Amino acid sequence: MAFFPGCLVLQRMPQYEKAARRVLKELGIVLESIPRAACCGAPLESFTDEWLYLAAYNLALAEGMELDVLTLCGNCTNTLLRAKAALTDPSLCLAVNERLHEIDLHFDGATTVRHLIHVLSERLEVLREKVGAELSLKVALTHPCQAFRPHEILGFDDPLQPQVMRRIVELTGAEVIAYEAEYDCCGSTLYLADEELGLEAGERKLESAAEADVLVDACGNCQLLLERFQGLMKGRAPEERLPVLTLPQLLGLAMGMAPAELGIGSMMASKLQGSLA
Amino acid sequence: MTGGGLNALLEGCTQCGLCREVCIVERLGAHSITSFLCGEEDYSSWLCSSCWRCQEACPQGVDIHAIMMEMRRDEEAPAGHEANLVSVLRSGYALAMSEEINETRRIHGLEPVELVPAEWVHALLRG
Repeated sequence: MAFFPGCLVLQRMPQYEKAARRVLKELGIVLESIPRAACCGAPLESFTDEWLYLAAYNLALAEGMELDVLTLCGNCTNTLLRAKAALTDPSLCLAVNERLHEIDLHFDGATTVRHLIHVLSERLEVLREKVGAELSLKVALTHPCQAFRPHEILGFDDPLQPQVMRRIVELTGAEVIAYEAEYDCCGSTLYLADEELGLEAGERKLESAAEADVLVDACGNCQLLLERFQGLMKGRAPEERLPVLTLPQLLGLAMGMAPAELGIGSMMASKLQGSLA
Repeated sequence: MTGGGLNALLEGCTQCGLCREVCIVERLGAHSITSFLCGEEDYSSWLCSSCWRCQEACPQGVDIHAIMMEMRRDEEAPAGHEANLVSVLRSGYALAMSEEINETRRIHGLEPVELVPAEWVHALLRG
């Protein structure tokens, strides 16, 4: 598949990309980088309709590779798929292609976009075969909002209480705990508008999940707020920090891969050590 | 993009308040677009975490996202959103990206990537 990392993962989370590539390879899926891929277009949408040009540009690059797109971020998935839907309008599509033709590209709408969770959910059997270790961990899940909503565009799983991530993680033998804020948003995009409110949203989520050994996410935005910004949250002392892993990092551990192969640092690895069988 | 503008988008709304009930911003004590939909004046169209729960919960199928996008274009943007906009228009990425990214990738055992040429970004997003 054509791999679309998005700005956050590309710039700040090579560990997430590394683990995703490693785990998908094990499942027989090779990710090819999309040369010259740009931002999905999401940050433009609040200001200008030109967000569609950037989204269509990325989709046109993947079309040229004759591959469907795999994403690691809810926001990119949502934006690219909404753009594709909007461009079924012939006049919009024409306008977009006028610009794309200037750089020798063309958008047809031939390629589709799937988030990692969606792709994994279609390969549960092969995933089951590959998982060797039984993880004796209590896992709390955070579901990437925009990979599931709006349902009319994303089109899979329960849009308000998604279940497939649970089914994927349960294959590892880990205990997936239910917690009150499980289906609440992490607050990452809110952080852009109001840092304090965004951190408060994240803090509530982490507090609600405190019983878990590790929180597992599958989105650059969730990872940014819940993992990278956890230290900025007022109410969270360093000793209370909840370890946060991305979904492919957890799956890779269950497949018997070494933490370093999955971009899991030695500190995180030692925190989890006691729980890994 | 939305044809009939704000009034047309608001047509189906019955002010039932379900959107506000599921809104994470409202739960935190602040006021989002869902307060506007309920007829309140104290809100910001920018106070949103883009979780799409309000729209999914709306029994009338109101396109709350489109309403919010319309309104944002008339309200001053928070610095964080503005910074991302400027960065995308300049470089094609929300975060400042340079060829140094490939040195980081090499350390992580990842193949180098080719970034979008700035002149393509300017051709695509010239207004």
